[in-house]
Amino acid sequence: MILLALVAVPVAGGLLGWALGRRSTLVPRWISLVAMVLDLGLSIVLWAEHPAASIGGGPWIAKLTLPWIPQWGIQFELAADGLSLLMIVLTALLGVASVIVSWSTVRERVAFYNLNLCLVIGGIVGVFVALDLFLFYLFWELMLIPMYFIIAIWGHEKRQAASIKFLLFTQAGGLLMLLAILALFFIHGATSGEYTFDYFKLLGTPLAPGVATAVMLGFFVAFAIKLPAVPVHTWLPDAHTQAPTAGSVILAGLLLKTGAYGLIRFVVPLFPNAALQFAPIAMILGVAGVIYGAALAFAQDDLKRLVAYTSISHLGFVLIGVFAWNTLALQGAIVTMVAHGLSTGALFILAGSIQDRLHTRDMRAMGGFWESAPRFGGIMLFFALASLGLPGLADFVGEFLVLLGTYAVAPVIAIIAAVGVVLSAVYALWMIYRTFQGRQAPGRALPDLKAREMAVLAVLAALLLWIGLFPQRVLDTAAPSINQLQAGRTALVVPHGVHRDEL
Amino acid sequence: MSSEQILALLPILVTSAASVVVMLLVALKRSHGLVFGVTVGSLLVALAAIGSSVSVMPQAVSSLLIMDRFALLYIGLILAATLAVALLSYAYLESRAERREEYYILLLLAAAGSEVLAAAGSYVSFFLGLEILSISLYGLVAYRRQTPLGIEAGVKYLILAGASSGFILFGMALIYAEQGSLQFAALAAAKGSSFDVVSLVGFALIVVGVGFKLAVVPFHLWTPDVYQGAPAPVTAFVATVSKGAMFALLLRYFIQLDLYQYGAVVLVFGIIAALSILAGNILGLLQNNVKRMLAYSSIAHVGYLLVALLASGPLAVSSVTFYLIAYFITNLGAFGVVGYLSSGEREAEEIDDYRGLAWRRPWVAGALTASLLSLAGIPLTAGFIGKFFIIAAGAGSRLWALLIILVVGSVVSFFYYFRLVLAIFREPDAGAQVPYPSASLAGGIALSVLTLLLVWLGVYPAPLVNLLGGMTSGLL
Amino acid sequence: MRQYPIDYGLVLSAVLFAIGMAGVFVRRNVIFVLLCIEIMLNAAGLAFVLGGARWGQADGQVMFIFILAMAAAEVSVGLALIMRMFHRFKSLDTNEIARMKG
Repeated sequence: MILLALVAVPVAGGLLGWALGRRSTLVPRWISLVAMVLDLGLSIVLWAEHPAASIGGGPWIAKLTLPWIPQWGIQFELAADGLSLLMIVLTALLGVASVIVSWSTVRERVAFYNLNLCLVIGGIVGVFVALDLFLFYLFWELMLIPMYFIIAIWGHEKRQAASIKFLLFTQAGGLLMLLAILALFFIHGATSGEYTFDYFKLLGTPLAPGVATAVMLGFFVAFAIKLPAVPVHTWLPDAHTQAPTAGSVILAGLLLKTGAYGLIRFVVPLFPNAALQFAPIAMILGVAGVIYGAALAFAQDDLKRLVAYTSISHLGFVLIGVFAWNTLALQGAIVTMVAHGLSTGALFILAGSIQDRLHTRDMRAMGGFWESAPRFGGIMLFFALASLGLPGLADFVGEFLVLLGTYAVAPVIAIIAAVGVVLSAVYALWMIYRTFQGRQAPGRALPDLKAREMAVLAVLAALLLWIGLFPQRVLDTAAPSINQLQAGRTALVVPHGVHRDEL
Repeated sequence: MSSEQILALLPILVTSAASVVVMLLVALKRSHGLVFGVTVGSLLVALAAIGSSVSVMPQAVSSLLIMDRFALLYIGLILAATLAVALLSYAYLESRAERREEYYILLLLAAAGSEVLAAAGSYVSFFLGLEILSISLYGLVAYRRQTPLGIEAGVKYLILAGASSGFILFGMALIYAEQGSLQFAALAAAKGSSFDVVSLVGFALIVVGVGFKLAVVPFHLWTPDVYQGAPAPVTAFVATVSKGAMFALLLRYFIQLDLYQYGAVVLVFGIIAALSILAGNILGLLQNNVKRMLAYSSIAHVGYLLVALLASGPLAVSSVTFYLIAYFITNLGAFGVVGYLSSGEREAEEIDDYRGLAWRRPWVAGALTASLLSLAGIPLTAGFIGKFFIIAAGAGSRLWALLIILVVGSVVSFFYYFRLVLAIFREPDAGAQVPYPSASLAGGIALSVLTLLLVWLGVYPAPLVNLLGGMTSGLL
Repeated sequence: MRQYPIDYGLVLSAVLFAIGMAGVFVRRNVIFVLLCIEIMLNAAGLAFVLGGARWGQADGQVMFIFILAMAAAEVSVGLALIMRMFHRFKSLDTNEIARMKG
């Protein structure tokens, strides 16, 4: 039931705030804040109740199954393992952060705004816990619509084009995934006689190699668009740039993670053979994203666009890590997901704060802000360093583990990706140089951060530091899920004559 | 005729009788309220009569009408949709100068014709139902007879529907001359593994005529003009009831004659479906007029329906029916809002008329947004479950090429649906705000019920799926 | 009396139908278009009568009477519409009344 509550609390909070908030702007803000904090509390309770050590046997720590549309083998099935748990905690945390950063920046249609914010958070939590493929697809589509509204109504100057682009890309991927889900549904039904969308029953469906690749690609494309992997990333810079601050935080911090989560949860376990064969291509796409994102980030004048391109780079590491497919790389991918959510979320909050203060995102009009806003500069530097992978902070742990794991299976990929880490140092420091150092832009001073912003950022910074120094807690939580994946891989390799080390 | 047969026919009889009663009433005393009340009342009685008909079905009434579960389901759907149209029409007609009362006679007649189509088991009843429906629609489409667009739409509909009737009739005549029977069932028994040339030509002509009625590509050219020129509630009727009745007939025809075994027939319908999906959605992109946009969208949606029709097997009938129900609710909601916001001689049909609707009329905007999301197939709406059902039926029959086209078409369609959604949520134009008419009770009730149904079917479709499984399993 | 095969009659009705169809697509004057639709309907009626004669059933003739009735109804509604059209546009040309496109 706690899983249902995790989804329902934000949704209910959003609806309640919307219903009561027609007159006052404060009411919906407070109600959604309370809902988010409650959600965060629930997720932490769940985490505390199931510390990694106590998980024995299977990786699942909570499960809920209710009948829904029995005629089509559809259940309302929620389940969480360590991976889901980490993602949920991240979601709830960034949910709280989004409500707070929108507090004074969103002044129009506040009730409707908070409704959309709460719905998108609820949808994302749903994606992370839905284990019926129909339900998963439903949440997957459902989180897009409020996000679309957030970009389209409260976004910046080119919001309409950006929002529709975002919608078209993700919907196209989603519908392909639907076809793939249905193909899997019918194949499983034909072979086993049981027509069901239940993830657990669909695991291990025997598939002919060609069919498996086709069906897997349906899933992969949908997740690659969300991730985003390189050829299908073009929606991301626009959407991230045009979204309001909280929208960018959710997009970068959470929506992208649903793609990575999908790869780990569905693509690899459902199609182990096809995924194994596809791994080299996926890793090449990943490394292309790492380099491409870093190079383009360097070329941007628009601050938010820069941060957006860094996301492509960081998520490239996740893609590599997932398909390198050994314990180290998978651990690295999961830590990178969490770390990227925290550090990039924070960078978007900072970029949004600059835009609110200066009404521009153009770095050519910035410079020398350190004098007028030292605290701002210090915090910005901290998150920039986190993003470039400074040892001791979470991003470093994630990317290091990915590189280490990948080196074992594909050294060339690992070496090229390591170049990406160097590039990330270049763009991150270049960003700080252009905004806070250098010649002071004439007539522009940056008012410093307020207490509310400081509080949010301090929490995010503390978490980055904590994961950076003591990653074991996170790794332990994710360990059973990773072991499960590993077990799946070892079981399948030998009969097909493909050796693990050949990669 | 036995009493059981009369009982089985009761919904159709009530509807027909109601049109006569309303006509007499209009001759005695012109009162819009009274006529409206009688119309709504008799539609409710006809709906209730379905309950009594269920007890005696399946029942073949002479050789013309087959009253089975399938027919009753579609008759119920037609009656409910007509009721919604009537509710939406009241305020629309109130604000106009034309004579209002005759509208309801035509509406009831058109409903009666559609019911006959849904129950038709022979070419004779096919023809009769079709013509009762068409001729009433000539009057309804041209009901705004003071406006040039109304007349243009009426004349265009008259010519094309007349010509399509000609096609259908000639096709029937050829088949009859070759086969010697007008019964679908007898035809099914008579046909061997293949048809002779004359019958094939006859089938082709009927397909052309049915294509006109369903407005599939390449027979769709009349659709946008007629949708634009007709009064908004009538557009809703044309888009839903008239197409739905035709589709019911097509479905029964397809299954009784087992047309799935003919590769050529499946191929032709597959091409029509693909063209309708692509052309409807692509042309929809170009429209600034909401009624025309919805017209093209309805062309595409009939294409989706054909995909489900072609998916033979147990899922086909229930997926078509489910999608039709979702399509009815959604389009009634969308056109209902258009009619609801139209006042005086003006139709609220330009995209700019909807700018800022969300902040001026939040509830109406909610209903329209829900309809548009359902048309786009977004979860938690009936349209999503319907589309899912169709894709499932298609995947079950391995129609991958059509499904890919369906996916492409759907993605394209997001563009224009969300264009309107975006307009609804934009800041209202400070300078020239379009005046909206004051709220009407009947229309408000209809829109609320439609929106609730839309969401309910999207969230918990299991009961309806169950019902459809039972209703459509026994085609007589 | 000589018996002609039914195909002759069907060919005749097909020719009539084609003439009517061509007229519907070619003519611009609404009255003529309506006339051509009548020709199409009557071609169908002829084919029905032939079919009835071939199978020795009344069905064909009954259908013909239905068609007559329906054609009359259609023409009456049609002429009323055409009168409105002439009243409004002072023209019977279908191209001249067209305002909508796209």
